[in-house]
Amino acid sequence: MPKLDKQFIKKVRRQDRFATRAITVGGLLVIASVIAILVLIVRVTLPLFQPAGAEISHRLTVKSGTAPVLAVGMDDTQEVGFTLDTTGLFSFYDLASGKPFFTAPASTRKATVQSVESNKNNVFALLWEDNSVTVSQVDFRLLYDDSGLRTVQPEISQLGDYPPRSYPAPVKSMMVRSHEGRLTQVALLADNRFQIDHEVATTNILGDEKKEAFSFLLNEELPGPITAFTLDEQGSALFAGTGAGSLLRWDLGENESAERTDNVVAVAGDKPVTALAMVFGDISVAVGGADGSLATWSQIWTGEGDDRVRRLRKTHTLTSHQAPVERIIPSRRSKSLVSLGADGKTHFDHMTSEKHLLNLDPALTMAGISGQGNGLIGLDSKNTLTVWNVDSPHPEISLKTLFGKVWYESYDKPEYVWQSSSASDDFEPKLSLVPLLFGTIKGTLYAMIFAVPLAIFGAVYTSQFSTAGFKKTVKPVVEIMASIPSVVIGFLIALWLAPIVEKAILAVILGVLLLPLIFVTIMAVLRPFYKTPTLQNFCSGHEFLLLVPVIFLAGALAMGIAPFVEQLLFAGDFKQWLYNDLGLRYDQRNCIIIAFGLGIAVIPIIFSITEDAISNIPPSLTAASLALGASRWQTIWRVVLPSASPGIFAAIMIGFGRAVGETMIVLMATGNTPILDWSIFNGMRTLSANIAVEP
Amino acid sequence: MTKRFWRQGEPFVWATGLALSLILFLTLLLFYVVMANGLAVFWPKKVALATLQDGRSLLGEIVQEEIIPHTDKKRLQFKIGNRDLYGFDFKWVDASEITSLTYPKDVHVLERQEYGNFYGYLSEFEVKGIAPPVSGSNSLAQTIAALEDRKVEVHLLGKKIANLNRRVELIDHHLAKARYNKEENTPALAAMQGEKQGLKTEFEALVSILSEKSAALATNQAIFTDANGRTKAVALPNIVRAYQPNNMSFFAKCTYYLERLRELLFDEPRESNTEGGLFPAIFGTVMLIFLMSILSFPLGVLAGIYLREYAKDGWLVKMVRIAVNNLAGIPSIVYGIFGLGFFVYGIGGGIDQLFFPERLPAPTFGTGGILWTSLTLGLLTVPVVIVATEEALGSIPPGIREGSQALAATKLQTLTRILLPMASPGILTGFILAMARAAGEVAPLMITGVVKLAPALPLDGVFPFLHLDRKFMHLGFHIYDIGFQSPNVEAAKPMVYVTTLLLILIVLAMTSTAIHLRNKMRQRHSVADV
Repeated sequence: MPKLDKQFIKKVRRQDRFATRAITVGGLLVIASVIAILVLIVRVTLPLFQPAGAEISHRLTVKSGTAPVLAVGMDDTQEVGFTLDTTGLFSFYDLASGKPFFTAPASTRKATVQSVESNKNNVFALLWEDNSVTVSQVDFRLLYDDSGLRTVQPEISQLGDYPPRSYPAPVKSMMVRSHEGRLTQVALLADNRFQIDHEVATTNILGDEKKEAFSFLLNEELPGPITAFTLDEQGSALFAGTGAGSLLRWDLGENESAERTDNVVAVAGDKPVTALAMVFGDISVAVGGADGSLATWSQIWTGEGDDRVRRLRKTHTLTSHQAPVERIIPSRRSKSLVSLGADGKTHFDHMTSEKHLLNLDPALTMAGISGQGNGLIGLDSKNTLTVWNVDSPHPEISLKTLFGKVWYESYDKPEYVWQSSSASDDFEPKLSLVPLLFGTIKGTLYAMIFAVPLAIFGAVYTSQFSTAGFKKTVKPVVEIMASIPSVVIGFLIALWLAPIVEKAILAVILGVLLLPLIFVTIMAVLRPFYKTPTLQNFCSGHEFLLLVPVIFLAGALAMGIAPFVEQLLFAGDFKQWLYNDLGLRYDQRNCIIIAFGLGIAVIPIIFSITEDAISNIPPSLTAASLALGASRWQTIWRVVLPSASPGIFAAIMIGFGRAVGETMIVLMATGNTPILDWSIFNGMRTLSANIAVEP
Repeated sequence: MTKRFWRQGEPFVWATGLALSLILFLTLLLFYVVMANGLAVFWPKKVALATLQDGRSLLGEIVQEEIIPHTDKKRLQFKIGNRDLYGFDFKWVDASEITSLTYPKDVHVLERQEYGNFYGYLSEFEVKGIAPPVSGSNSLAQTIAALEDRKVEVHLLGKKIANLNRRVELIDHHLAKARYNKEENTPALAAMQGEKQGLKTEFEALVSILSEKSAALATNQAIFTDANGRTKAVALPNIVRAYQPNNMSFFAKCTYYLERLRELLFDEPRESNTEGGLFPAIFGTVMLIFLMSILSFPLGVLAGIYLREYAKDGWLVKMVRIAVNNLAGIPSIVYGIFGLGFFVYGIGGGIDQLFFPERLPAPTFGTGGILWTSLTLGLLTVPVVIVATEEALGSIPPGIREGSQALAATKLQTLTRILLPMASPGILTGFILAMARAAGEVAPLMITGVVKLAPALPLDGVFPFLHLDRKFMHLGFHIYDIGFQSPNVEAAKPMVYVTTLLLILIVLAMTSTAIHLRNKMRQRHSVADV
C-alpha cells in the first residue's frame, strides 16, 4: 500500500479550511448585503413620516432701548438676521457671532412706522404715521472670495415712495400691499369703514409710464366692528374679520367698486376673529380666532349650472391654540404658517397636510420663516432673537395626503389628486397615491383578465393533451417569449398596435365576441363526428392546429362586418357614440392596449409555472381517474387542476407581481394620466411608471 | 350522444387548444411584425412620381395606403423627404387626386448629414479642385468618390482637434487639483501652464485650418431639382450616400443593403439618433452586460454555494432563502431607485468628496455612469444567480457527495472537481437567462446613467482606457428614446424597428444558448443518475 504524502494531505486540508472560511465569509457578506438592500429600501421611505424637529441654532440679544420691532427675518443660508423697528430702521445681525454689523433706514424721513406688510421677495411696505408709504426690498447677495469662502451681503433698495393721503376720519389701522408697480392701501377708519386707495403704474409699448390712482370709501353697513383684516398681494381681494366671528370678503375691482362676496361665520361662539393672513399663493386665507382656533378658508365653486358661484368655505382646520391667536405669519415659499398665541405658544403648521409641525414655548412677539422653510427666527419680549433650525424635510406629506381625500386649493371638494409639479412656484403639490395605486390595480387587473385564462388553458393543453414531441418544442418557445424585453413590447403596442386598434376598435371588440361564438358553432358542427376514428386519430394532440383558422376566421369576419355594425348600431362612428351616449372618451393609449401588452409579458411566466405544476401531478392519479371511466376533460377538471391548484395560484401571483412592477410597457403605452376611472378606453398612471416619469 | 359530448367536456379540451393557438399566434405575430418592419428598412424602396390633378407633382416613397375612415376612398402616404424645402417628411394624398403614378429612372435619393433624405433630379455640378465630372448615370457617385480624400482629411483633422481638447481638459483637471491643494508657483505647475498654452495655440491653428478646409470642401455642390422644378444646391460633403432606386439591379440593391447593415453595426448615429449607425448603443449594451456579469456572477455563485453546501440548515437559512426569493420578485424600477440613492448619490458622492474634491460641485462619480448602472443590474441578477446555483447544486444526488467524501476527498475537492462541473450547466443556464433579462431591462438604467447620446465610449485609447464614470448608450433605451422622445416619431420609426430587431436578436441568441445548454445538461444528468 502506498503511503500517503503527509505534506500533500496537510496542504489539501489547509486549502479546504481556507476555502470553507472564505466561502462562509464571502457568502455571508453577499447575503448580508442583499438583505441590507431590503432594509435600506424600507429606511429611505421612513423619513417621509418623521415628525419635524427644531433646535435652537443661534440666540442673540438685539440692542436694548431701541424702538419696538415690527418685523424680523433672515436670509436663506441662515447667516444674517434682521429686524425692522418703528423708526423704519433695518438692523442686520451676524447670527453666528450675535454682533450687529449693519443698519440702514428704509427712508430718510424721520417718522414713526405704523405697520409693515411683507411679501415673498422680502419686499416690505412701511406705513408711516402720516399715512405715507415706503416700499423697500431687502436683498441678500452671496459673495465668494478667491478661496471660495462665502459671505452674505445684505442690501436695501427702495422700490417706491408714496405721499400721504387724506382721510374723512382718523385712521385706526391700515394695510398696504405692493405688487409689481401697483400699490393698494386699505385703511380702517375710526368709524368702522374702509377707505380703499389703488395706485397702478403701467408702462405702455412706447415706454411711457402712466400712473393711475383712484380712491373710494366702502360705504356700507358692516355687520360688526372689524377686528382684523388683510389683503391679497395684488390688492384684488379684501378679507376682514369681525368681533362676532364673521369673515367678510370683498372683490376690489379696477374701477372704484368693491363687491362684498362673502359673509360667513369663521369663529364659533360669537368670539372675535383675532388674526388674518393670506397663505402663500394668495388663494387661501388663514383665520385665527379668540378661542384659539386656526383654520384656512378659500373660495370654492358651489351650486349648479347658472347658479354656480364662488363662496368661502373652510378647507383646512389646523391645530388650535389654548389662547387667542395673536398673529399669523405665512411662509413665503410654501403653504406652511407660523401662528403666535396670546399665551406665548408658537405653532408651526402646514396647511395642505394639516400637520402640526412644531410647538415652541418662548413667548414670541414677532417671528419670520426663512425662504427655504428650514429656519424660524423669533423675537421675544426681552428683545432676544432666537433662530431655530427646523428639521422638517417633507411637511406636505402625511398619511392623510398620501392616501386620503384632501381639499386642495381651487378644488370644489376634497379629492384624490396626483400632481407633483407645476410651472408656478406658489403651486400646492398634490401627492395622493390613490390615483397611482388605482392605475396600477386597473392595468394589472385587465391584464390578468386577458392573460390568466389564456395562459392556464394553454398550459393545460400543452401538458395534458398535446403530444410529447410538441411539448418539447413549446416550452422553449414560451421561454423565448418570456425573454422578450419589455421595452420591445411597449414600443410595439404603443406605436404599432395602438394606432391599428384606434382605427378598428369596433372590429377588435367584435372579434373578441365572435371568437367564442364561432368556436361554439364549430363544436356543434363537429359533434356528430367526434367519435369517428379518422378525426380521433388526426386530432388527438393537434386540436390547436385545427383551431388556427378559427382565429383568422373570427378576425376576418369581425373586420368585414364592423363597418356595417357601426352604421347600423352606432350611427356610423363608434367613438363618437361612446362619447355622446356613454360619456366615455376614447384615448389612443388605453387599457385595452395595456391589457394586451402586460398580458404578453406575463403569459409566459404564468404558462411555464402552471405547466410545471400540472406536469408534476403523479401520472397514477390521472391513470386512476381515466381507468374509472372519466373522460379526459373530467380528469383534468376534477383531479389534475385541484391537485395542481397551489402551483397555479403561485403562477398567478408571480405573474401579478411582474405586471404590477412592469415599468416600460405602461410608461410607453399609457397616457400616464393619473385619473380615477374604470373605463377600458382610458389610460392610467401606475406607481412604477410614476417613478420613471417624475425625476 | 350529444349530451355526452358536452358532458364529457370534449369542447373544453378544444377550448384549451384554442387558448394555446392564441398564445402561439400572438407570439408569432409579434416576431413577424418586428421582422417584417425591421428587415425591410434598409431595402431601397422605389421612388414614385405622382402627378396631381392641380398640375403639381410630388416625388416620394409610398409608405402606406389606407381607406379614409367613413368613406370608400383610398389615400396614400408618401415619404417626400426634402425637409429643408417643405418642412415635413410625410404627406397624405387622396388617390383620386393622383392622375398618374410613374417611377422615373433618373431620380436620385440622397442621404444627407442633416435634414433627412432628399428626392430629386440631378441637374449640374459646381466643383473646384477636382476634374469636372463626366456626365452619365453614375457621375454623382464618381464626384463624391473624388472628394473622398479631402473628406477623410477633414475628418482626421476633427479627430486631432478632439484629441487636443481632451488633453487640455486633462491638464485643466491637474491644475484644478493643484489649486485645490494650495500648490502655487511650483515648476511642475508652470510646466503644465506652458503646455496648456502650447496646446491652445496648436488647437486654434488647427481649428482655423479645419474651418478653412471644410468651407472649401463645402463649395463643391451639386444642383438638384425637386418634382416641381425647384432647385436646391446640396453640398457634396453633406451627402452620406446617393443612389437611384428606380435604376438599381437586384445585385446593386443587395450591396446597398449590406452597406446599410455595415453602417448600422459600426457607425455613429446621425440626426438625433434617427439615422446612421448604432455602434455606441451596441457597445454600451454589450459592455454593460459584461461588467454586470463580472460583478454578479462570482458573488451570486459564492452565495449559492455557501447556502447549499456550507451553511447549516436552520431557520436562518430558510429566512435567507425567502428573502432572496423575494428580492428576485422586486420590480426592476425599485432597484433603479435604490441604485440612484445608494450607488450614485451615496457611494458616488462619497468618492467625489474623497478623491475629486477639486472638481466639485461638478460631479465625477456622483452622477449616473456605467459603473453604477452595471452595479444596479448586478444586484438585480444576483438573487437569480443565487437561486440557480442553489437549485443546480441541490439537484445533484447526495450519493455523489457521499461517494466523493468516502474516497477521502475534502469538501473543497468535492466541490471543485465533482459538484461544480456537474452543476455548471444549470448555473450557466440560470445566469444566461438572468443576463438576457438584464439586457432587455431599461427602467433601472434610465435613472442610473443611460443617455440618448454619449459623447465618448466608456472604453477608449485615452488613459486610463476604462472610464467607468462615463454615461453610455443602450439599445433598449434607444428604442424608448427615439420612439417616444424624438421630435419626429414618424421619421424615426424605421430606426426603432431596426433597433428592436437587433435587441431581440441579442436576447434571443442568449436565451437559445441557455436552452441549448440546459438540454445538454439534462442528457448528462440522465447518465449520472444511472
